[in-house]
Amino acid sequence: MTADENATRTYDGTGVSPLAGVGTAVWYEPGGGTELEAPPDPADVDPEAERDRFDEARDRAREELEREREQTADRVGEDEAAVFDAHKQFLDDPQITDGVEAAVDDGVPAEHAVQRAFEDPIEQFAGMEGKMAERADDLRDVRDRLIRLLTGGDRVDLAALPEGTVLLAERLTPSDTAQLDPDRVAGFATAEGGRTSHAAIFARSLAIPAVVGVGADLTKIEADADVLVDGEEGTVIVDPTSDQRERAAGGRDVEIREEPVTTVDGKSIEVAANVGTLAELEGAVRQGADGIGLFRTEFLFLDREGPPDEAEQLEVYAEALDAFPDGRVVVRTLDVGGDKPIPYLEQPDADNPFLGERGVRRSLGPDADLFEIQLRALLRAAADGDGRLSVMFPMIATVPELEAALETVESVAEDLEAEDLEYAIPELGVMIETPSAALLADELAERVDFLSIGTNDLTQYVMAASREDDRVAALHDPLEPAVVRAIARTAEAGRAGDAWVGMCGEMAGDPDLTELLVGLGLDELSMSAVTIPEVKAAIAETETTDAEELASRAIESSTKEAVQKQITETNL
Amino acid sequence: MERTVTVVPEDGLHARPAAKFVETANEYDADVRVAADGDDPVDAASMLAVTSLGVASGDDVTIVAEGEEAEAALDALEELLSTPETEA
Repeated sequence: MTADENATRTYDGTGVSPLAGVGTAVWYEPGGGTELEAPPDPADVDPEAERDRFDEARDRAREELEREREQTADRVGEDEAAVFDAHKQFLDDPQITDGVEAAVDDGVPAEHAVQRAFEDPIEQFAGMEGKMAERADDLRDVRDRLIRLLTGGDRVDLAALPEGTVLLAERLTPSDTAQLDPDRVAGFATAEGGRTSHAAIFARSLAIPAVVGVGADLTKIEADADVLVDGEEGTVIVDPTSDQRERAAGGRDVEIREEPVTTVDGKSIEVAANVGTLAELEGAVRQGADGIGLFRTEFLFLDREGPPDEAEQLEVYAEALDAFPDGRVVVRTLDVGGDKPIPYLEQPDADNPFLGERGVRRSLGPDADLFEIQLRALLRAAADGDGRLSVMFPMIATVPELEAALETVESVAEDLEAEDLEYAIPELGVMIETPSAALLADELAERVDFLSIGTNDLTQYVMAASREDDRVAALHDPLEPAVVRAIARTAEAGRAGDAWVGMCGEMAGDPDLTELLVGLGLDELSMSAVTIPEVKAAIAETETTDAEELASRAIESSTKEAVQKQITETNL
Repeated sequence: MERTVTVVPEDGLHARPAAKFVETANEYDADVRVAADGDDPVDAASMLAVTSLGVASGDDVTIVAEGEEAEAALDALEELLSTPETEA
């Protein structure tokens, strides 16, 4: 096939994984509008299923309206936010719901039934004057929202996309991405989102080619178009040339190693995956992870009305252990706060959430009950884990905080003992994310089994620079000498204190930095699953003595450019 | 039982007073209907139906309630319609 060069169009965005894929474009959210296809034969419609779809769409519409109401109240004001209350009321208005249900029972699909049920009231209001006519606009809004949710936002569709789909969307929520099947999705591209958005993290975990943040131009791509998503270059190409196509199909020439790897001289380095949902476990196994180095537990608490109970958590932790029968699973206790709000937890607005009450600060404070329930589930899961379950505490800044967390583990163990429930004390560790924790690493290492360096937060806090802020994003670089030295100091403290030391930030997943990290003395590297094969390959080529020399030169460097130069020279 | 009330809020039975009215009508174990002067009564639990009555401030409405809490519902709705919005 000869590709027509003229037809090739390229859109730029942010690439999130070193993978490319080609497929047929499917729009997740059609660009709005209420033009529906002709309804099918009533005999082919299942009224009960349609009622369920309608109810689900109303639930989701209600959630959206609540969120938008809150945002409007914050940004604009209470008066302007009140319109969302009126919209919510329309959702439950018997005149609408009765109309929809009657039509559905006659064999009309939910989206058509919604359109019909709104017709009369809209016409009635539109014909009136002043305030009443505005109501017609409100009704149209609610109708369009429901139809969008019923047509574009259909949850079932995402899980059942045809093989070779390139998914295009305005944005993908955590629950959207969780449904994507990497076997069917050749890639996805979104108009919104950055490298750290949930969709991006998910794409790296499941090794799905993805480009985010393309902007409004993305909507120029028609459904069914032939699209290449290049997660390395950050481009979305419509009607790619045969050259481009071939390169994408060629994929990576790196072998997936299921077995643990060692350096050339035989030093074992554990290569593990960062995981934030159960769906990502499979991707981690597939990419050859030795275990889980960071099991984020926030997903258990998001998108729901109340916290998960002990039994539900126990099941989830057991599932993670099952996915890696020979590997370690490191679970991080609930890390809310910062940019991770959870609706049913009271989280007063903080001036600077990243410097506020988050991580273990909440677990030892307002979320003490949740912390205890989570630890109960973890200790019980550890009983079946043959010592493979590890638990670490996020955002530790002081020794008393760590001691309080360890005491909670003790008291939970006593409770379980008294209740005659099976349990085991898992390996316990600390996340090194605050400068304070890095400076106190020797004190912390004496008290735990392991340390795990979270380089994203550590870099942000050491450099006092947010990577979300373009003006200072250049400062947010883990190769800044201060960060390199904080890592070196932590690794050394771990060795002295008989605690193993791992790293679970994005830095750990960069194969160009593997030699440096081995040289700095890390025992474990945990990353988004997609780069595991590259990092394993890099370890297998590393000579520990060379790595140590590189590390000592990097520690002595006074600028990040100098650190970078050392790395580039050894990689040549 | 039924009751006729003069609507005090400035907006009549629109916008927030209407929303409040529908919300209140839904709170009671009673079937509540409301009619503007001379028109057919409509379901008081429907925001659409209530606002479509086009009731302005100063108009009379007739509220009809049946059921266990009919009296309580009428009391609450009368109170609501007799109170200027700023105080509601």
